[in-house]
Amino acid sequence: MYRYDEFDATFVESRVAQFRGQVERRLDGRLSEAEFRPLRLMNGLYLQLHAYMLRVAVPYGTLRSDQLRMLAHLADRYDKGYGHVTTRQNMQFNWPKLEDVPDMLSDLASVEMHAIQTSGNCIRNVTCDPYAGAAADEIEDPRPLAELLRQWSMLHPEFSFLPRKFKIAVTGAPTHDRAMVRAHDIGIEVVRGVEGEVGYHIIVGGGLGRTPVIGQTLRVFCPKDELLPYLEATMRVYNRFGRRDNKYKARIKILVRETGIEEFRFLVDEEFKALPASKIMVGQAERDRIAAYFAPPDYANDIKAFDLSAQPEAFRKWVDTNVVPHIQPGYAIVNISLKDPDRAPGDITADQMRAVADLADAHSIGEIRTTHQQNMVLAHVRQDELRAVWDGLVKADLEDANINLIGDIICCPGMDFCALATARSIPVSQAIAERFNDHARQQAIGEMQIKISGCINACGHHHVGHIGILGLEKAGVEFYQVTLGGDATQTAAIGDKMGAGFSQDELIDGIERIVDFYMGQRTEGERFLDTYRRLGTPAFKEALYADA
Amino acid sequence: MSTLKHKGKGPQAMTANELRSGLSVWMTKDFGWSRDYRDALLTEDEATIERMDEVARAAELVNDVVGAYFIDTVDGKPARYRERFRTHGPTYDTAELI
Repeated sequence: MYRYDEFDATFVESRVAQFRGQVERRLDGRLSEAEFRPLRLMNGLYLQLHAYMLRVAVPYGTLRSDQLRMLAHLADRYDKGYGHVTTRQNMQFNWPKLEDVPDMLSDLASVEMHAIQTSGNCIRNVTCDPYAGAAADEIEDPRPLAELLRQWSMLHPEFSFLPRKFKIAVTGAPTHDRAMVRAHDIGIEVVRGVEGEVGYHIIVGGGLGRTPVIGQTLRVFCPKDELLPYLEATMRVYNRFGRRDNKYKARIKILVRETGIEEFRFLVDEEFKALPASKIMVGQAERDRIAAYFAPPDYANDIKAFDLSAQPEAFRKWVDTNVVPHIQPGYAIVNISLKDPDRAPGDITADQMRAVADLADAHSIGEIRTTHQQNMVLAHVRQDELRAVWDGLVKADLEDANINLIGDIICCPGMDFCALATARSIPVSQAIAERFNDHARQQAIGEMQIKISGCINACGHHHVGHIGILGLEKAGVEFYQVTLGGDATQTAAIGDKMGAGFSQDELIDGIERIVDFYMGQRTEGERFLDTYRRLGTPAFKEALYADA
Repeated sequence: MSTLKHKGKGPQAMTANELRSGLSVWMTKDFGWSRDYRDALLTEDEATIERMDEVARAAELVNDVVGAYFIDTVDGKPARYRERFRTHGPTYDTAELI
């Protein structure tokens, strides 16, 4: 994976020193809160409902084992012994003290990490397919592209004060989008052109929040060397015409919708023509230099066939659910579920982080991925070492076998931690996980994505959940609205809103009714989403409200 | 010192976050700050409310607290759900399992 060069290291260290001075001035009163707030937000430090929260950037969801150990160290030394993997592949700490944050950032800098651009109206951490470089279905590893975008967008002088925050996601596997590219301000798919050359499909104007929109094609095929000038042109159009008078209408999705995709494309093309593209273009040599950091590992060719039949049932279930095929024969991609039914989705203790780091060192080239589904991935595991990985996960209490099943719930922190939330989301996810805790039942239900947000800002991506849940509050009582049929993949769709909301208890019963209805109605091989699309909203709505 | 949803009706309490820890605090009867809502000063007396406002502004200026604002209360509890929630902290925290 990418290593800092001298410039990166010097810059991050200087930024830590700068923030240390800012905190000192805040603590002794030379900076007011009004002056300090934008400075702390530029360094990922929020003041949440009960305490500060530090959001650490995990560029394109890739961590070295020493970096994960450092996150464990932060959790132990400065927080309460755990961290939270977010839906944008970052890691949050819920309880830091202001005076400790400079030391936290200094510790992070020692392993080439930081919290810059994890907040504010700038281009945020670029997210990526967590199977990048290992997936059998990808055209090309998208991480060099993600790294190029990171370098381009980091402290970009024109794009540090955009109308609103800006999120980019990339995938190298357009036929199996695991990065949710159509729900981002800009989504980029690696694609092949008519002559077989590799380039990019640019999607613009997607997003969730209070106005969910599926992104539209801005450019069907962008040659590699034109990418940065073309994105620069797109950002310039947004920066110039994006609304700054109303933060709720300031995202690029509103601009694209109000302008119309054809007119927006025209504006971008005009800007693109006017740009000094040659100064922004990145040539083959530089792209190759970056790509070299992501070269495939030295795969072994002597891996013997792995006989699962002699293994314990629990291990076989885990393999069946959490392990997926790898591009290299003899290897596998291991998903580590952070969806223990008793915990908040995405939470991982410091001890568990160290255990995962050790497993990565022993079995997966010392590298870990975080996923937007709030799990972790070991991307390069020899199949004959799967049992050793599972044994290690069992020891660390990380062996939940529920990836992509109903227990694999995406969930924002909700009212339990977030200052913006209107209702709790963690207890709802726990109640659903408990109701469907039986592994055989989860397996029988099959692929199911439940996504829960504690407010309309939709950090839990509820709009694109097969079952989406939105927590609201009225007159002091939490209630939950349901959407059905959302889809975060290459067939992206915004879920259909059902009717009146439910109390938490009613909600769990309602979800069970629609799951049972689906099980009774599905045809051979149909996923929940397929059955929903075939039967339509009214049938599922009737089931949802059957006893309400 | 008010928020959009603050109506200024009924007994008022003053809340903020400690600058250093970020933890929630409420103004006490002796015009200090407590992390325990049960210690909070609740009053409808205009003069006292004015004094609370002055003390809170001063506490912000000397960097004890940040983001001080009044909240409405009903029957001794914050009127808004969010503010009631702040008084007891998260209902779930992984820290409690460690």
